[in-house]
Amino acid sequence: MEIRSYDEMNKDEIDVFREIGSIGTGNAATALSTTLSATITMSLPEVNILDYSTVSAFLGGPEKIIAAVLVHISGDIEGIMLYLLDLNFINFVLEKLNLECIKTYEDLTDLDKSAISEVSNIIISSYASAVSQLAGINTRLSVPAMAINMLGGIMSVPMSEYGYVTDKMMMIGGNFVYENQEMTSNLLMLPDIKSLNFLLKKLGVICD
Amino acid sequence: MISNIVVGISDMKMARNEGVLVTYALGSCIGICLYDPVVKLAAMIHIMLPVKLGNSNDNVFKFADSGIPETLRKMEIFGAVRSRIVAKIAGGARMFDIPGNGSLGNIGMRNIESVRQTLRAQGIRILKEDVGANYARTLYFDCKTGNGVIKSYGRNEIVL
Repeated sequence: MEIRSYDEMNKDEIDVFREIGSIGTGNAATALSTTLSATITMSLPEVNILDYSTVSAFLGGPEKIIAAVLVHISGDIEGIMLYLLDLNFINFVLEKLNLECIKTYEDLTDLDKSAISEVSNIIISSYASAVSQLAGINTRLSVPAMAINMLGGIMSVPMSEYGYVTDKMMMIGGNFVYENQEMTSNLLMLPDIKSLNFLLKKLGVICD
Repeated sequence: MISNIVVGISDMKMARNEGVLVTYALGSCIGICLYDPVVKLAAMIHIMLPVKLGNSNDNVFKFADSGIPETLRKMEIFGAVRSRIVAKIAGGARMFDIPGNGSLGNIGMRNIESVRQTLRAQGIRILKEDVGANYARTLYFDCKTGNGVIKSYGRNEIVL
């Protein structure tokens, strides 16, 4: 059966994305460990299908300032991925790269931003390659674009991009763990609806 | 002290005489304040997309071209007069600067164009606006004074 919106996915179909999330987070943890020379592990990822009206509240309120990195996926599937970083995780990355920690987002220097953007790109690529490998498809990623602003405003970008077809979004939350300290990691994985069906077919969970 | 009236995404709220309408963190979306100063009737719409496509059963307030006429119709029922209604708009930002991809993330510009065009077609004048650029805005509108205030990250407050 064709799926018309993210919330129409059944338990098995969501499980597929949990598995992708699991592999992706694992890949990302390994890549991060290498980049930052620190042993980073992960917690079990969760997949949440969120409503447009509740997504901001779920992540801490529309006016919360957050850093986000957006990448456009193309190739066999089309869509966008948006990686959200909170202050805690940013400081961890900066510390490991021997850069100065920050108190507010306004303290971020250009070098800090570039480092964060690169680390996010590594994380996003880990998830993208998890999808590609599992489904046996080719994907290409665009150059990452970063924004630091109110959460609500940042979320309006993926919302309006798919606003004509759905009012739900899919979020993979898998936390990174370093020396018993958990760091929130949230990734919005948003293949468009055509790609979502294609992907689920490729992975064998929906039949023609 | 009356608490603020919160306008959600793809939502519209009205207030008369007193009360502050607020919509949080407008990104590429647009907040439209419509106001009749004589009867002190204010409406705020938070639209997400420029035009309604086909005969979808979606919420009318999701789109500029359907949300604005519907709000004006409701305002007139509550005693506002079309020729007195004025508009103030904010939002339509481009949050991400995506290299080499024209259409993605450019919805803000299309929203601004659609809002302006719809207001013009409805005979409503835009008194003030703060649109475009690359930052999110929280928009307040005071029904008593007809003034708007915009708060954004790392920028001074703007009185609209």
